[in-house]
Parts: sequence; C-alpha cells; structure tokens
Amino acid sequence: MAMSHNDSVPLHPSSQSDIDEIENLINAAPATVLPARPQSPPRASIPVSSSPFIQSNIPPPSFHNKPPIPPPISSVSVSPAVLPVTDPNVRPTVSAEGFGSAPNTLTEPVWDTVKRDLSRIISNLKLVVFPNPFREDPGKALRDWDLWGPFFFIVFLGLVLSWSASVRKSEVFAVAFAVLAAGAIILTLNVLLLGGHIIFFQSLSLLGYCLFPLDIGALVCMFTSSVLLKVILVPITLAWSSWAAYPFMSAAVSPRRKALALYPVFLMYVSVGFLIIAID
Amino acid sequence: MEGGGYGALSSNQFLGSVPAVVINDEKTPLTGESSRADPRTFPPGTSYDGADRPAGNSWAAVFSVSSYTPYFNVDTDIVADRIISSINSFRGDFFGKIDANPDLYGPVWISTTLIFMLAFAGNIASYLIQNKKTSTDLAWKFDVSYFNLAAFVIYGYTVVIPTGFYFLFQYFGVAAASLVRLWCMWGYSLFIFIPCSLLMVIPVTMIRWLVIIVAGASSGTFIAMNLKTYTEERDLIVMVASAFLLQFALALFIEIYFFG
Repeated sequence: MAMSHNDSVPLHPSSQSDIDEIENLINAAPATVLPARPQSPPRASIPVSSSPFIQSNIPPPSFHNKPPIPPPISSVSVSPAVLPVTDPNVRPTVSAEGFGSAPNTLTEPVWDTVKRDLSRIISNLKLVVFPNPFREDPGKALRDWDLWGPFFFIVFLGLVLSWSASVRKSEVFAVAFAVLAAGAIILTLNVLLLGGHIIFFQSLSLLGYCLFPLDIGALVCMFTSSVLLKVILVPITLAWSSWAAYPFMSAAVSPRRKALALYPVFLMYVSVGFLIIAID
Repeated sequence: MEGGGYGALSSNQFLGSVPAVVINDEKTPLTGESSRADPRTFPPGTSYDGADRPAGNSWAAVFSVSSYTPYFNVDTDIVADRIISSINSFRGDFFGKIDANPDLYGPVWISTTLIFMLAFAGNIASYLIQNKKTSTDLAWKFDVSYFNLAAFVIYGYTVVIPTGFYFLFQYFGVAAASLVRLWCMWGYSLFIFIPCSLLMVIPVTMIRWLVIIVAGASSGTFIAMNLKTYTEERDLIVMVASAFLLQFALALFIEIYFFG
C-alpha cells in the first residue's frame, strides 16, 4: 500500500527533498550550529523533519512505515526560516533515537571497550548460571552472546587442571582444552543434527558459561588436598552446571529427543568433573 | 518491491535505521539456506546464478549440517531399542531393525562414551591395583595419555574396520551392504564394553578376564550373526569369522592396555 504510493508518486519529490535538504544544510548550517554538537555528521540535520512532511525520507526506525505526504516538502523545507525555530526542541529526541543508540566504538578508549565486554560477560554469567526469572525463557537468556566468557572459562579450567597436575602438565591442558572447546562445538552440532533449533554461537557461548561452577570447583580443589571435600564439592558443581545448561538444551529439540541432546552435555560435564577429582 | 528496495537502500546508509537492516540480514541467509537445502526451489538454468548453482551445491553440501540430519533422525526410544537389541547377540536382526533409518547418533556417542569410560576406568583400576600392592597412593599419578590412546583406538576401530568390510563386500558383490549401516552396526556393537569397563575396575584379575572375554564374545557374536544375513548364500564365512576375531582382539586390547 505504502509501497506503491512510495513508488509512483513520491520518488521524484523525495529525491528532490534530498537535494533540498543538502541545500538546506549548506544554507542553514550557520543557523543550526547553535543547538547542535558541531561535530555531528551532516545527517544530523534531520531535525529539519520536525515539520512532519519529510519524515518518510530519513526516518527514525519507528516512523518508517508511515505513508509519506510528499508534495509540500519542497515548499516547506526550502524556507529556511522554519528551521531554527523548531530545532532546539526536536533535535535531542531525534538524535537520541537515531544516532545515540549506536555509539561509535571505533574511537572510544580501549579501557571502555574492555569494561563493556567485562560487564557483558558478567551480565551474561548472571543470566545463565544464577537463578533468576529470566530462566523461564532460555532462548532469551543469551541473545547478546559473546565468546570472550567461554574462552576465559575454558582456558581457566584448562590452566587450573594443568597447574594441579603433577606430571604431564601440558598434556593435561591439551586434553582439557580439546575436550571443552571441541566438545562445545560437537554438542551444538549434535543438537542441530537432531533437528533442533539453536543458534550456533549462542549455544557455544552458553555451554562455555555453564562451565563457571566447574571452574570454581576446580579452583577450590586446587588448594585443597582433602579427597572427601573434592568428592563432595565436584558433584555439586557438576549438578549446578548441568542444571544451568538443561533448560536451554532441552528447549532446543523436540521433547522426544530431549535425552539424546542432553546426554552428551551430561557426558562432557561428568568427564570434566572426573578430571577435576582425579588430577591431584 | 522497488519501494522496499529503495527503503532498505536508503535506510542502509543511516545509523539510525538498524532494525530494517537487521531484518534484511536475517532474510537473506534464510533464503540462501533453503535454496541450498533444496535445489528445486530455484529451477536451474533460469538465471545467471542458477546455471552454476547445482554443481556448487552438491560439492558444498558436504559442509552443510542439513545434509547429515538424515543420519541423526532418531528418537530416544529408538536409540534405546537399538542399544537393547545390540546386547541380544544371537538375534541377528539388527540390520532389519535399522533398515529404513540407520543412524550415526548411536555410533558417535557410544564410542565417545566408551573413550571416556576407558580412560577413567583404566585410571581407577591402576589406582586400585597400586593401592592394593603398596597400600599408599603416593606412587599413583593420573595418566592423561589414556585419553589419547582410547580416542585413537576406538574412533579408529569404529571408522576403519566397517569401511574395510564395506569395500570387501563391494568386492565380493554383496550389494546390500551400505557403509552407514555397517558403521551403525559396529558402533552399537561397542555398547556392551561400556558397562564392562565399569565392572573391570574391580581389582581382581580373574574377574577382569572373565568380564572381557564374555563381552568380547558377545559383541563379536552380535557382529557375526548380523553379517551372516548378508552372506547367506555365498561362501564368505571367512569374513564373518574375521569380523568376530577383530572384535575379540579389540576386547583383548582394551583389557591389556587399559586394565593390565
């Protein structure tokens, strides 16, 4: 509906309005500088569209589907007198919607990037491993997945295991890392092959985050020599890990194949748990 | 159509219109995926793309997950049923059971489970033996190399031996033999070693040998009885016997290297 309208009638006027807008930019630049950030890109003068007519042209996403009302554009937007009047009110909201949501990550300090990634890891960890209301919808839990967390947890577990091993340290690390990293990939493929619906990297991310309890268990076991404590602690962390991974993996496949998808996850965690106990 | 294209094109260039771009990004791979999965959606030869797509597809399908899903098309009860029938060694109807739908899920995860079980049970067994001898566990160290050995032997055995038999069957003209079925059968035949590796932890040499001989004989019989259905009218008893002996040799290898 809007398509055809957009197609036939306004193509010329709207392209015309583009030109108009550029003209406006050139003409009215001195006028609009005052309320704006001086460095903002040329399109920041969208606020021209505070007059409702141009919205179809360069819209914030929510306005995208509105049928355009093109004809008066040129007449209205050409008159530069309108611009400075309405600008100060509208500019902040539009720029917040249109440009504020995507901060430029290329020019920010490195420390900000690191902090952002760390906070994302922590929030993902909370979503996956700790009990909270979001557990009801496992698919949403890791929509903002990342692979830094899994990488840290896998490497950390491998390092802890190889530190606690008394012989063949490097081989222990190699086996642990291979089992965990390849295991995560293979488990995800397993779900996909069983006909499940899962996002590959999201599942990798989740399986890595679920290692966190085992990480803690391994860390504690490294500093204790009591076999009894290990034998009690590791099953608890094991159950915690499996419980964290359970809702996601079981929701991904059809109910009749739940056991087939969950068994390999269980196998991997049990193997890792056994490694933690056995290596002293 | 053009309006949408125009909208997408124009909004593409502005930072503000992320959702529209995301929707487009989601749509494009989807259509690409479906066209790869089923080449019939696009009649070949109708467009410039269509001309060379089928050839590229058949080659690229090797790397596509969806081309392997038929081999994992099993439910939990089916897998359980197959595992149970792999313990009943004298029935010899395993190929009849998997005929329509041979799966690779069983072989993959049975052999993987067996690898972990062998590595852990072997370590526990050596721990118990040393404990019994020296009454102190100072000498015992966890031996990670059991993993490498177990993975190499078990994966190698499950892949190579059925492949070899497949080519032998082809050579002797048994057309009924298919590679996936042989893999499936050999993979399920390893299941009995999983409970046996638990039993073999018991540090009594007599019991260990008893368990492994029973397991080897049972699993070898399972393979032999099933292979016999392929070779009924031909004089291929040598192959059946060699399959039995190979399985028995695997059992002995497990006993000697992991529990010796």
